[in-house]
Amino acid sequence: MGAYLVRRLSLMAVTLIGMSILIFVLLRLVPGNVADILLDASGNDDPKEKARIVHDLGLDRPIAEQYWQWIDGLAHGDLGYAYVSERPAIEEIGPRIPISAKLAGLAIFFAILFGVPLGVVSAVRQNTKLDYLLRIVSLSGLSFPSFWLGLLVLMAAVQWFGKIPIYDSDAHGFVAQVKMLILPAITVGFRSSALIMRLTRSSMLEVLRQDYVRTARSKGASNTSVNYDHALRNALLPVVTVIGIEAAFLVGGLIVTETVFNIPGVARFLVEAIRWRDYPIVQNLTMLIAFIVVTMNFLVDMAYMALDPRIKYS
Amino acid sequence: MRLRMVLLAAGVAGLVAAASPSFAQKQGGTLRISHRENPPSASIHEESTISVVQPFMAVFNNLVVFDPKEKVNSPDHIVPDLAESWSWSDDKTKLTFKLHQGVKWHDGKPFTAKDVKCTFDAVAGLDEKSEILRKSPRKIWYQNLKEVTTNGDNEVTFVLGRPQSSFLSMLASGYAPIYSCHVSGREMRTKPIGTGPFKVVDFRRNEGIKLVRNPDYWKKGLPYLDAIEWKIVPNRATRMLGFQSGDFDMTFDSDVTFPLLKDVMAQRKDAVCEARPTNVNSNILVNRDSPPFNNPEVRHALVDAIDNHAFAEILSQGHDLDGAAMLPPPYGKWGMPKEMLASLPGHATDIEKSRAEGRKIMEKLGYTADKPLKIKVATRNIEIYRDPAVILIDQLKKVHIEAELEPIDSSVWYNKIAKKDYQIGMNLTGVSVDDPDVNFYENFYSKSERNYTGYNNPEVDKLIDQQSAETDLEKRKKLVWEIEKKLAEDVARPVIGHNVANTCWSPKLKGVNLQVNSIYNGWRFEDYWLDK
Amino acid sequence: MAVIDHEAALARAGANVTGWWSRTLFFARRYPLGAVGAVIVAAFILTAIFADVIAPVDPTATNAKFSLARPGSMFLLGADFMGRDMFSRIVHGARISLMVGAGAMGMGVLLGIAVGLASGYLGGWVDLALQRVMDIMQSLPLLVMAIIMAAALGPSLRNTIIAIAIPLVPNVARVVRSSTLSLREQPFVEAARAVGMGELRIAVRHVLPNTLAPLIVLATAQLGSAILVEASLSFLGLGVPEPHPSWGRMLSESAAEYVRTAPWLVIWPGVAISLTVFGTNLLGDALRDLLDPRQRS
Repeated sequence: MGAYLVRRLSLMAVTLIGMSILIFVLLRLVPGNVADILLDASGNDDPKEKARIVHDLGLDRPIAEQYWQWIDGLAHGDLGYAYVSERPAIEEIGPRIPISAKLAGLAIFFAILFGVPLGVVSAVRQNTKLDYLLRIVSLSGLSFPSFWLGLLVLMAAVQWFGKIPIYDSDAHGFVAQVKMLILPAITVGFRSSALIMRLTRSSMLEVLRQDYVRTARSKGASNTSVNYDHALRNALLPVVTVIGIEAAFLVGGLIVTETVFNIPGVARFLVEAIRWRDYPIVQNLTMLIAFIVVTMNFLVDMAYMALDPRIKYS
Repeated sequence: MRLRMVLLAAGVAGLVAAASPSFAQKQGGTLRISHRENPPSASIHEESTISVVQPFMAVFNNLVVFDPKEKVNSPDHIVPDLAESWSWSDDKTKLTFKLHQGVKWHDGKPFTAKDVKCTFDAVAGLDEKSEILRKSPRKIWYQNLKEVTTNGDNEVTFVLGRPQSSFLSMLASGYAPIYSCHVSGREMRTKPIGTGPFKVVDFRRNEGIKLVRNPDYWKKGLPYLDAIEWKIVPNRATRMLGFQSGDFDMTFDSDVTFPLLKDVMAQRKDAVCEARPTNVNSNILVNRDSPPFNNPEVRHALVDAIDNHAFAEILSQGHDLDGAAMLPPPYGKWGMPKEMLASLPGHATDIEKSRAEGRKIMEKLGYTADKPLKIKVATRNIEIYRDPAVILIDQLKKVHIEAELEPIDSSVWYNKIAKKDYQIGMNLTGVSVDDPDVNFYENFYSKSERNYTGYNNPEVDKLIDQQSAETDLEKRKKLVWEIEKKLAEDVARPVIGHNVANTCWSPKLKGVNLQVNSIYNGWRFEDYWLDK
Repeated sequence: MAVIDHEAALARAGANVTGWWSRTLFFARRYPLGAVGAVIVAAFILTAIFADVIAPVDPTATNAKFSLARPGSMFLLGADFMGRDMFSRIVHGARISLMVGAGAMGMGVLLGIAVGLASGYLGGWVDLALQRVMDIMQSLPLLVMAIIMAAALGPSLRNTIIAIAIPLVPNVARVVRSSTLSLREQPFVEAARAVGMGELRIAVRHVLPNTLAPLIVLATAQLGSAILVEASLSFLGLGVPEPHPSWGRMLSESAAEYVRTAPWLVIWPGVAISLTVFGTNLLGDALRDLLDPRQRS
């Protein structure tokens, strides 16, 4: 067990270091740098000014040195300065994280709220009309692009309220926040709820076929008690894990949804930073996402090990 | 040209509103305006977009400004701002300003003549080590500026290489605010300090810009508003609906295109909307140094295919103006008369005839409908660039040119154009002051950095210098028209149209006066007030 | 892991199956949703192939007179801002979607097979190194990886395909690797080795065909996600550029402007994407049930 943990953690470290190198190199392969973008914005193309900006930002130094400077800073908790806004990267990234996190949290909440019960119902009523309907709904959840769903939600908002909600960073209080985030959260959460529903269904079906469920049934336990007490508890294990992984992978949905709903979160900020060639922002954000994904994977494995005695790691 | 009377009527209405007596102004209130995008920075001198000028001009003062009460920017309507008065030396090469006394920067430090010198030394590139700017896109405006000298704290003199009557017009532009010597470039780009009526509280990407009233503003009693809040909303539909539902008191400048106008007016019946040119013209960059457009005949066939009206019809329901390099009359002060324009290539009134001529040229060169000339049209990968490019591609089919769109990321656009790595480019050019020096020196003078096509015609260069030095207005106009004509005949940068769009605001917002020949020079906001 | 046999799967399902047509019928009866999916996917592919015949007009032809024309007899699904026929654009959009979807999927699967076979078959440090590379690629969500790739390569049809293909590689590689690992020790592989067959030949001739079933399941699922990722990239302005009529592109900035005034610009491209991906997902589910009994529900 201890040896497994050590191995696991060192693999995580290797992955993250690899990611840092990959993103660092990839960014520098992207055509154009921030100086090109800045001069493009002002509509002039003065090589002297460009050289000065490149020099000031240290982009003319050897790539290994630049990389070391970044990693060294990271180790000391210094994320560097954002190129475009010229503020500390931490001040640019930090305040945007809670916005995206709230949105993601709310989305996961909706996903579980709808996904788990509907998945159970679908499994218990396997091959009924209801099951088919629910399966089609869940499959469409995996088929609709979330930005389109977002546009449809906007369309509905225009129809019903005559306006599109505009995110207000000054809105405080739980109710105000939920009100502002509820539509985008449903948009993002639809996909996750579909995934959770499908997984709940299949894992529930598998459990229902297991011997101990049959045994419980033969001992005279009521159907309801079997379904919801014995089976569900066991079926939820893989569901919990997928929720963990999905939470990390929600970023993709957040990117487009934050764009559609104009929410100043961190996911959309990543795409913009890529467009501006704002290396410090892109690098640090990518590492943050990779860290979350890797950690979630790790926690999920740990949870599996703790909850399912059949799994042994060596 | 399809100038609608409605537009002129709206313009006159705006004029009357602005000119109405000002005894009733009310203090207070927050003005909420929608913003279309993240301004690249807050430093006006470093940027070339209305996205920076409109929100941040209110933070600064100029030496002089175009009279904010006038509808038309013109050299004879320039009024004092930080300068109390000005005078030219006898040989018209020295311009001396007497400065207002007792003016303070937002951080409490006193404003002096040194600040003026610091600003223009940096902007003109006279002081290459200056820390207050890291780029200066309008250096070319000041190429005739040799030196800035101070005489005590309250007098400053601009020494020019030769007489240049446009010089004062440039100083009157929204693009010529006075920066201070003691504030670094980084601060100016993130949270600038000026002498103006409003102070910057906050500027956050993807969120907005907050300005508050400068209580110590040196113009007593001004400004009226307590604050101005700009909210950055990149989706135009969201912005429009926000204005319609009253979340905003004013739209971003020229944000309401004609296809949207009807809906906006229907949803917010009390809205005041005014159409005016945006100072942006769409034009074609032609790479005249390599095949196929190094052949003047092919260049002519190209412009023969262009139907300005079809462009205008799609892009602005016919409101865009047909013109040559300068903004055409009646809005523009310098553009050539309509009759003269019709004789220029690319502005034909009978489009079928001109396209037949274009086809004839191409057929002579061996191209037919089945065997067309294949080219690429490069443009920036941005909606407002792509739309006209797609229309252009469609029109080129009419003269046996089959074009493919090549969308270029903004980060590499200038590189590509500068390297001449293109055949045809669809381009938008903004001219911030309706002035021939500003336009010609920036875009067509052989030595300009913003002469992207590398157009180099010594004869035109000479004419540009000649009109610049000319002090007689009528004579100068004739020279300007001659340049416009030469540029068109040379297919230097064929102009497709001058954009026109609408700006709307709430009737409760008073003191609005939109200037018709520039969107860049009237955003001080010091005499705006809210009637609520 | 058992070797999965298509025929056996059908036989286990208790069908008397002979001939192509009756098999199809059997499939349709056994998996009605899968059959619907197959029909949608077939329609999508046919539309893409015969786009020139189906589309009434040139999808890039602009016409001022028809700017934002409503759906009607002239324009079945309306016209966009530049007066381009939406129906023709959507029909031609199928071609772009298929090209990018199938191209990226195909490329991803091929690269994944190569990596997976190398990893599983050669083992040792090659396996170790390749697995770490796959770990790294999987530490970012698919769309994020594709966005970074697309930005690095620049917007074009070809680059979009590459940008989407690369993040698809690890999944395929993992599946192929694990199949290969278990197959490597199987008697028939040992036998092939005994008669002196080269390792590469064994890998390609004997091991690969036996990983086919899970691969088909995975590939179908990936076709759907490739189409979705293309749409998202184009929506963000990083994917297939104008004037290619990409469905995602049609829904980008300009569509949002017309949620109120011209809703048909928002609805139809989205319907096209959703329906296509829905079809591939239905088909994928049925194929999984059919070919991969371990996951049967």
